Amino acid sequence: MPKCVIDGREVEFAPGENLVEVAKRAGVNIPVFCYHPGLSVVAQCRMCAVEIEKMPKLQTACSTAATEGMAVKTQSERAIKNQKSIMEFLLLNHPLDCPICDKSGECDLQDQSYDYGSPYSRMTEEKRTYIDLDMGPVIVKNMNRCIHCTRCIRYGEQIAGIHEMVAIRRGNDTEITTIDGKPLQTAYAGNYADICPTGSLTLKDFRFKKRVWLLKRTATVCEGCARGCAMEAHAENNIVYRCVARENLEVNQYWLCDEGRFNFHYLHETDRVVEPAISSASGLVITEWKAAVDAAKATLKGRKALALIGSDLTQEEAKDIQEFIGKSFPGAPLLHFGTPGIHSAREDADEDKILKRKSKTSNLHGFEKLGLKGFESVPSGTEAVIVFRGGRAMLPKLPTLPTVGVGVFKKQEADKFATVLPGAAFAEKSGTIVNFQGREQKLVRAILPPGKSKALSEILMIWSHA
Amino acid sequence: MLVKGKKTLFQDFYFFETLTGMIITLKEFFFGTKVTISYPEERRQYSERLRGQHYIKATNGVENCTACMLCPTVCPSECIHIEAGERQDKEKYPKTFEIDILRCCFCGMCEEACPKDAIKLSTIMEMSTSYRPIYDRAFLSEQRGNK
Ligand code: SF4
Ligand code: SF4
Ligand code: FES
Repeated sequence: MPKCVIDGREVEFAPGENLVEVAKRAGVNIPVFCYHPGLSVVAQCRMCAVEIEKMPKLQTACSTAATEGMAVKTQSERAIKNQKSIMEFLLLNHPLDCPICDKSGECDLQDQSYDYGSPYSRMTEEKRTYIDLDMGPVIVKNMNRCIHCTRCIRYGEQIAGIHEMVAIRRGNDTEITTIDGKPLQTAYAGNYADICPTGSLTLKDFRFKKRVWLLKRTATVCEGCARGCAMEAHAENNIVYRCVARENLEVNQYWLCDEGRFNFHYLHETDRVVEPAISSASGLVITEWKAAVDAAKATLKGRKALALIGSDLTQEEAKDIQEFIGKSFPGAPLLHFGTPGIHSAREDADEDKILKRKSKTSNLHGFEKLGLKGFESVPSGTEAVIVFRGGRAMLPKLPTLPTVGVGVFKKQEADKFATVLPGAAFAEKSGTIVNFQGREQKLVRAILPPGKSKALSEILMIWSHA
Repeated sequence: MLVKGKKTLFQDFYFFETLTGMIITLKEFFFGTKVTISYPEERRQYSERLRGQHYIKATNGVENCTACMLCPTVCPSECIHIEAGERQDKEKYPKTFEIDILRCCFCGMCEEACPKDAIKLSTIMEMSTSYRPIYDRAFLSEQRGNK
C-alpha cells in the first residue's frame, strides 16, 4: 500500500482516498463543514485547507486525493491562519443564539469555533436576518444560522433522490430554501437535521425537548423494517427523546427513514398497557401479575390453542417462545405475523430505492431461519389464541376467540383480549435481530420497561412456576 | 507506650488552672466587648455578594431566561427543573421553572453559568418555612433582587 506523511506520521492509504479520511486514520483531525463521507465533494467551505509540501498554495483536504510520499502539514502557520479566517468568515452573520439552539452541544460550527476560532468578533455591522419558512412536519429551518455548506442540497439530490432544496441569490444574500418554498416532500427528511453542521435545520419533533448533552446514547438497531438500520437511541430518565442514525456502510450508510426515526414514540404512548390486566364487563382491569397469569392459564386450559408471534421479537425471544409452546401447549401451531400481506421472507422486497423494505418488522428473516411459518388464516378447530408481540408488528384480524396477549399492546388493540401480560418493546430489551441480508445485529437496551411490564423471559418464567 | 505522669494529689485538682480560666471568663463577661446581637430585633449588614433566595431577572417585564438549561446542567444539587416552550414574542422561554430549594446548597454556580444574566441569587437570606417549598416560575419571577 502507498504511504504518505501527515503531520509527521506515516499512514497507508488506498488509492483515491482523500486526505480528510487518511488523516482521521492517522489520528489527525482536519476540521470540515461541507465535506460529508456520504455525499459528493464540493470543497466550498475551505475549512479543511492544509499545507502540502511542494504545492505553492493551501489545498482543501476533502478534495485532494493522497499520493505516494505526500507530506501534509495540517498545523502549519498558514493552515492555522486560514482556519482562523474561515471561522471568522463563517461566523460573521451567525447569531449568538446557542442558548436556544437545539444543535448546541453537538454542533460542528460550535465545536470548531471553540477549537479553531477566535473568541471575539470584529463585526460591527448589522447581521443579515431572514424570515422563517415552514419546512413541513419534520424540519424547522432557521436560515440565520446557515453557513451555506450545501450539504442539505446535495443530500436531497444524491441520497433522498429528490431535488427539493436550493440556494437562491448570491454572496452574502444567499438563502437555502425549498423550491418555491414548498414543504419538504421526502420520507427521509430527518436526515437533513443530522447532516446540517449548524442549527439551521433541526427536528420539529425534538424541538426544545432536551439539551443534547443531557442524553444518554445507546447504540442500537432500528426495528422499523427488515433492513435494520444502525441507530442511536437518546434517552434520559427512562424516556427516549429521539433516535439518530449511526454509520453502517453495509446497511444504511449514514441515514434513517422518518418512519424508523420517529417509531419510538409508541414506547411512551399513554394508551400503552403497562400493567397486567384481565377483561371484565367494563373492559380491561388492572391486576397483579400472579392473578393475570392464572387468568391466562385458565383462558387457554383445555382449549385447542393457536400461538401467534410478532416478527418484531428477537431471536432469543422467539426461541424461548418455541420452547414454551412446545412444552405447555404441545401440538399448538406457532405462526408469525408482522406486516399485512407479507407472510414469508420471499415476499419481502425493497419498498423504495433508498432504505425501506416492505416487511415492516425487523426480524422476519430471522424467524424464517428458526423455521417459523407465516400466519395466513386461523386453522379450523382453534378455540383460543395466545399472541406474542413486541409493539411494532401489525396485529392480524383475529376471530372472536378467548385471547391472551403477551408483550406490548395499546388499550384499543387489547380491548377484546381476555388477559394482557405487558412486555418490553425494542428499546427496553437487548437481543439479536436478523435483517434482510441475513446480518445478525444487536438490539441494546436503552431504557427500562415502563410500569409493571417485564421482559418476555421473565413472564415465561412466572408462567411456568406460578 | 503510655507514661503515667507522677502528680501530687493537690496537682490532680487543677486548682490554679481552673481559677485562671474563671478569671478570664468573668473579665470577658463584665468588661469585654459584645459580639452577639439580638436577632431579629437587631440585624447585621451582610455583604452585597451574599448568595440567598433565587429570582429570575427580567428586562422590560420579559424574563431574561431562554431555557438554555445550563443551570440545571451545572447545579451540583440537581435542584433546578426547567421545561422549555415556544411563544409568540419569544422563540424559547421556560414554560416551567422550578427550584427544589431545600436541595440547594447556595453555591451560586447557576448564576455563574447563566449566559443570559437571568438566574440570580438575591441577598435575601431569611427563607425558612414550615413546609417543603418548591419555587415555581411565578415566585421566581418576582424581582426581589439588587443584582
Ligand atoms: S442549511 Fe445546514 S446543511 Fe444546508 S447549507 Fe445551511 S448549514 Fe449547510
Ligand atoms: S445555588 Fe448551587 S445548588 Fe443552588 S440552585 Fe444554584 S447551582 Fe444549584
Ligand atoms: S470540508 Fe473541505 S472545503 Fe469544506
